[in-house]
Amino acid sequence: MADVTLTIDNKQVTVPAGTLVVDAAKRAGLDVPVFCYHPKLEPAGMCRMCLVEIGRPMLDRATGKPVLDEAGEAKIQFMPKLETACTNPVSEGMVVKTQLTSEKARAGQKGTVEFLLTSHPLDCPVCDKGGECALQDLTMAHGPGQSRFLFDEKQRLAKQLPLGELIWLDRERCIQCARCIRFQDDIAGESVLGFEERGRMMQIVSMSEPGFDSIFSGNTTDICPVGALTTSDFRFGARPWELNAAPSICAQCPVGCNLTFNTRREAKADGQIVIKRVMPRQNEQVNEIWMCDKGRFAYHYVESEKRLTRPLMRRDGKLAKVSWKAALDLAAEKLSEHKKNSVTLVSGRLSNEDLYNLNIFAGKTEAILYTDMGGGDLTSLVGVSDGTNIGDMGKGDAILVIASDLYNEAPIWWLRIKAAAERGATLIVAGGRAAKLDRFATFTIRYAYGDEIKTIEDLGGKSKIAEAFRKAENALIFYGSDGLGLAGSTSLAAACANLLKETNHIGRRNNGLVGVWPRVNDQGAWEMGFRPTADLAEALKGKAVYIVGADPAGDDPALAKALKSAKFVVVQDISMTATAELADVILPAQPHTERAGTFTSGERRVQRFYPVVPAFGESRPDFSITAQLARQMGIILEGSSLPIVFDFIAHSLPAFDGLNYDRLAEVTEQWPMVGRGDMYYGGTTYENKDGLGAHLSSAAQRGETFKLPAAKNVKPLRPKEGELLAVPVTQLYDLGNTVASAELLAQRIGAAAISLHPETAGKLGAADGETVKISWNGSQSEVRVRTDEGLAAGVALVPRSFGIALREPMTLTVKPAKKVK
Amino acid sequence: MSLMEKYPKEVKQILAKYPPEFKRSAVMPLLYLAQRGEGYVTKSAMTEIARALDITETEVASIIGFYTLYHDKKEGRYRMQVCADLPCALRGADKFLAELCGNLGIRVGETTPDGTVTLESVACLAACDKAPMFQIQSPDGIEYHENMTIDRTMELVEALKRSGQEGR
Ligand code: SF4
Ligand code: SF4
Ligand code: FES
Ligand code: FES
Repeated sequence: MADVTLTIDNKQVTVPAGTLVVDAAKRAGLDVPVFCYHPKLEPAGMCRMCLVEIGRPMLDRATGKPVLDEAGEAKIQFMPKLETACTNPVSEGMVVKTQLTSEKARAGQKGTVEFLLTSHPLDCPVCDKGGECALQDLTMAHGPGQSRFLFDEKQRLAKQLPLGELIWLDRERCIQCARCIRFQDDIAGESVLGFEERGRMMQIVSMSEPGFDSIFSGNTTDICPVGALTTSDFRFGARPWELNAAPSICAQCPVGCNLTFNTRREAKADGQIVIKRVMPRQNEQVNEIWMCDKGRFAYHYVESEKRLTRPLMRRDGKLAKVSWKAALDLAAEKLSEHKKNSVTLVSGRLSNEDLYNLNIFAGKTEAILYTDMGGGDLTSLVGVSDGTNIGDMGKGDAILVIASDLYNEAPIWWLRIKAAAERGATLIVAGGRAAKLDRFATFTIRYAYGDEIKTIEDLGGKSKIAEAFRKAENALIFYGSDGLGLAGSTSLAAACANLLKETNHIGRRNNGLVGVWPRVNDQGAWEMGFRPTADLAEALKGKAVYIVGADPAGDDPALAKALKSAKFVVVQDISMTATAELADVILPAQPHTERAGTFTSGERRVQRFYPVVPAFGESRPDFSITAQLARQMGIILEGSSLPIVFDFIAHSLPAFDGLNYDRLAEVTEQWPMVGRGDMYYGGTTYENKDGLGAHLSSAAQRGETFKLPAAKNVKPLRPKEGELLAVPVTQLYDLGNTVASAELLAQRIGAAAISLHPETAGKLGAADGETVKISWNGSQSEVRVRTDEGLAAGVALVPRSFGIALREPMTLTVKPAKKVK
Repeated sequence: MSLMEKYPKEVKQILAKYPPEFKRSAVMPLLYLAQRGEGYVTKSAMTEIARALDITETEVASIIGFYTLYHDKKEGRYRMQVCADLPCALRGADKFLAELCGNLGIRVGETTPDGTVTLESVACLAACDKAPMFQIQSPDGIEYHENMTIDRTMELVEALKRSGQEGR
């Protein structure tokens, strides 16, 4: 867009046409106070805080030319009244006087504050927002010292109204700016907040079931300019000025949202430093200034009572506390003894540095990635290239999402892809069931589970949708494992990679393949060389096993059985798990909040995280433990300096070439500016001062030649009479080790339930909410039934990490529980 | 009973008036319909309307909350809605309202103990020159009462009480 030059407070400013006066001022370093305006939301002009004087060049009606004064300067005509800087776009020659140069603007803003305070409780001393509150700050800066209004006429309302169990509303404090409502309507796409009543009585309401039913609800507490919205997690937890801030990365999903952990020393914790809350940290290429509620509220597992504090060793059948030396000696001895017969099993919860060391440690012995999703080798070849930013995609671009319920698997991708579609990108959503993203899709493809490959192959053919994808200037494919196991997802990845190659959507920015992985750093594990195996139980049987950051026994009884028959089991993890219960030696590790490291996101962006709190007990970081174990076995690995380990990675893997810790810590200017002294503008999101990270290069981007495997056609399972097709799916809130300990989420996690189409359920004689007995593959269990009209007949959705071990699609029989008794 | 079961013809007629892409606009007449029998919109009617129009229950609730015409609670049989906006206040509506409270023995927003009248204060009803004025909202519709005095209002309340008893 063309640029426009205007004058703000005697300063010449040049900005793109269409920029709002308030943002133009911001870019010039001049702060116009705002309450309802937010740079990520459409302007609403509701609060009148941003009043300024605006003048425009006088135009001669006949010629359309500016009228000049004696000095030959354009004559400026000021509006008789103050205008809102947040709703007026700039125009050529405009002259703006903010409160810095205009007495009138000062008086206007002062009046607005006085009006806002006519019915505000001013209970700052007990308000969570006190100290980082827009109203507090702007009252101090621009408000009158005294009110002319009657104290007794303030609104009195019962305080502390839960909007749900996660977010609380204080109606007296609300200044009716509607930021929260507009965030829910426009950004989250979940209109579960509204106003009722009007004028002075206007109040926020939520009628959804459960209350404030949105997985992005926490963000409203960041952008609320007062203490009207607070989270259950942080309410009355601490004063903002007591908090320290440590930059981190969310470890809950492959998006890799940039976060800040706020900590403080606490008497309740014997003077220890503890985590008080999690806040988003700006990265416009990853999470912008948002995060989801899972990232915000599920972190409590890092401080769970199940945390391992000391090494343990099995003595007389029981696990006993021992010294690090004793534990490492025994583990090294046994792993050496069975060297030819040992397996290293790791998960994508670990950092790149841990995984690098582990891979060298495993050497020629078997190294397995614990996952049921394949295709990470292909994302290394044709993954998205440097500079990719979903936030840049729009008209002319295409995004295909297949076999992934992004809302549940990677919430912030869901949010950003929805926004891309709203900007005009062609969004194709292909799935075996209805998904929340369908509503924003240009095209929706509903296939029968098992027909994923065929669906992609059809997109390579001739159809309106195929055409739209092929012709798109840029195209991304997000593929997941909704309804798929390892074999299915591996094939699907191959089909997607081939489609991208054929349509020439690889090797350039905003093009390529993205895996929607179950864990934060699965992509990193693939990069380091780890691969999953088709028959894990077989691979573990009778071996000496070194398991790091994985809980196979907790997930699947068959794997527990295999482990029981293992020769020797070393488990390295942060908490006690079902797998650790079976171990001979347990080595206590640190979660990412207690150490530094890097994760590789699904977009193959490598990002640094930093220590947040001191280490728990005697726990150590995984990469060090592995190095210590290795040393005992005669392998030399770097065990103390993470930057050095990272340099090794950069030297040995072409994708990491040129990267180092300093490079990952670089920051470039981001728009909008947030998190500085002007929290009223962008909210309490943190500014990013510690690194935006960097993309790994893909083989396609490096111009390497490679051959893509053809997709193996897995024959679709079609259930017989009396059977159902059971498919594994992911729920955002599950009972996995990194979620279940968040008590706050208990209600949203709910109980294990399989989902059936109401008709299917009806045929089986089971109603919504009833318990049934399911049998599959020789296992049995009792679960509740949930009915879901978005499913095909004959399909049963089985949620992962809910105690039902279904690792790939399978046929299943269901019987009402009462008849079985 | 659902709205659709109770008023199948009316619901159909209302929905037919709006093209599919603007069907959310049908929320106003549907709410009015839903309020017909009980004098307020039940939670289940709210849910039904939200589903039918592809909007959330919160959106429906916030429309009910905005208009003084809609209610989400069962209250008095008659709603006496006094305008106390500025023009009416200049003609003494605020004093009228205060005195009315005293005479009825209730505060604004409350209902007389016998359940006949709920007293409300509302914004401009477009009869500013005839203040003090109010409207009576009841299952039978809406009725304006203009240039009112306390005496005449109390007479009216008595009459409403009587008709309320007869109606039972
Ligand atoms: S709750 Fe906060 S964000 Fe929402 S309208 Fe009130 S002041 Fe604004
Ligand atoms: S979207 Fe993923 S990475 Fe971001 S906050 Fe949520 S769980 Fe964490
Ligand atoms: S009116 Fe401009 S910030 Fe509210
Ligand atoms: S102000 Fe009362 S009717 Fe208009």
